[in-house]
Amino acid sequence: MIGSIEVRSLSRSFTTTVRRPGFAGALRSLVNPERAVKHAVSDISFDVVPGELLALLGPNGAGKSTTIKMLTGILTPTSGEARVAGVVPYEERERNARNIGAVFGQRTQLWWDLPVRESFAILRDIYDVPGAEHAARLREFDGILELSAFWDTRVRHLSLGQRVRCDLAAALLHDPPVVFLDEPTIGMDVVVKEQVREFLRHQVEQRGRTVLLTTHDMTEVERLAERVVLINHGRLVLDGSLDEIRRKFGSTWQVRATLADGHTDLAPPPGIVLLRQDGPQVVFGPDGPEAPTVHQALKAVIERYEVTGIAIDEADLEDVMRAAYAHAEPAAEGV
Amino acid sequence: MNAVRIAWRITRLNFRSQLEYRTEFLLMVAIGAIWQVSVIVFATVLLTRFTGMGGWDSSDVLLIPATRMLAHGLFVLVLGRVHGLGRFIQEGRIDICLLRPIPVHRQVQLQYFPTNAIGDLTVAAGLMAGALSRSHLDWTAGRITYLVICLIGGMLLEAALFTAVACASLRFPAADYWGRWLEELLGTFGSYPLNVLPKAVGGFLTFGLPLAFVAYFPAAVLTGHGHDTGVPFWLAAASPLLGVLAYLGARLLWRWSLNHYTGVNG
Repeated sequence: MIGSIEVRSLSRSFTTTVRRPGFAGALRSLVNPERAVKHAVSDISFDVVPGELLALLGPNGAGKSTTIKMLTGILTPTSGEARVAGVVPYEERERNARNIGAVFGQRTQLWWDLPVRESFAILRDIYDVPGAEHAARLREFDGILELSAFWDTRVRHLSLGQRVRCDLAAALLHDPPVVFLDEPTIGMDVVVKEQVREFLRHQVEQRGRTVLLTTHDMTEVERLAERVVLINHGRLVLDGSLDEIRRKFGSTWQVRATLADGHTDLAPPPGIVLLRQDGPQVVFGPDGPEAPTVHQALKAVIERYEVTGIAIDEADLEDVMRAAYAHAEPAAEGV
Repeated sequence: MNAVRIAWRITRLNFRSQLEYRTEFLLMVAIGAIWQVSVIVFATVLLTRFTGMGGWDSSDVLLIPATRMLAHGLFVLVLGRVHGLGRFIQEGRIDICLLRPIPVHRQVQLQYFPTNAIGDLTVAAGLMAGALSRSHLDWTAGRITYLVICLIGGMLLEAALFTAVACASLRFPAADYWGRWLEELLGTFGSYPLNVLPKAVGGFLTFGLPLAFVAYFPAAVLTGHGHDTGVPFWLAAASPLLGVLAYLGARLLWRWSLNHYTGVNG
């Protein structure tokens, strides 16, 4: 289907040489190398529907980039199958390339010695984009990314932020239904990051593009992603919404209240547990899988008790992800 | 047709961008020429101190380095970007090529304009002009056509060797060092009639690394030494065909290697 990504039991293994400790170990490895199979991606399956932005998350070395490389046709999987916009990317690389755009934050796809606009013109020719369409799209991208201020500069003279904005535009000039972004905002300042996020939101909401994003920036995830796939040690740990992740991995909120004098019955509302009490100062948290959201809990506490002061602490997504990564560690040992 | 237009456009833009850095451009042209200084010294010594070498007249011998250098200059200009590909691979730039809907090999060749080829070709053309002017041969249309075909064959043979090294670099980026060794070897032994070398070395440079097919055999066939090369005359005469076949084989190996590319940098 145009714009969809289907991943079924995708795996990719590499054969590596086991490093033995010390100089003698290195010599032994040279004479008699011990091989080991490293499973970079193991049996992962997920779908991305057209017009959806999915964040593919995981710690360093989790298998995110390898997954993206298989979906873009750079690598061939060891087993399993993937279809991107109806095309098997590693079997029909050039056909797949016409359906996708890709940005790798640390590498540029522009010609290093040429002014950016010349790179755009070359890409227009490569993808057979009609001149009027190309000009209109450049105008649109310039409106958000402010490219015209530096698009006559050679790529080698651009700052990182300028270069990645140009790379984003270059990846979308041929109007691909599917876009892969591997840490697109790495190393950018907050202003440029926000500019890029606005651009991506526009591409998903207004242009209906399917986006698969990897990032370590949780603010980016919160602002952009509708759904998250979490992988660790090459295995899929979770596929769901941010709320599901928050619910699954640890306490996600606390309500701190100061109670008026005379409260004796401190039985909390359903789904809420009393975590601490110090005189009139009390702290409540979620209790079990049916716990209310922080706003529901706030309302319940105010309705049940007479309070003179109240505040909420919500664990930020980074804390939640840390808990999620830690939770996935035991599974990794079996890999 | 579109592919030719794109290749021409990129080449033109790359060339223009090199021209904009005047000093860098001139330095690159100069290094291309200076790189060939050993060949020029060899040619000078050959013409001023010796009457011949290995049973060949000096004027005939001169055709060997001239042919090799011109074939090499053409290789650098047209197909030379496969040389030193290890760094390109290690930096992950080949991954970017795999994302575009045109062949990766073509993109590798269009990375930049090889300005040093201008120096290479200038020296090589000068040497060839000198060799032809001193030659006692009757340069008929047939001989000239055969020489041109041999130059193309030599270019393809050199390209085949460096493409094979590039294939190894896709898996082992350190294979680049072998490319440098190969370049050194071609430059060192490419100017001599190989019959002056020990048989084992000559055999290696014929059947191991087929350097003999780049310039020695073609020059032998053109100058009437084709029956004294140690290989059947037909094989020496078929040198350009070997270049074509070797290049086609190298491109198949390239395709296979790309399909088995395992990536770098995670």
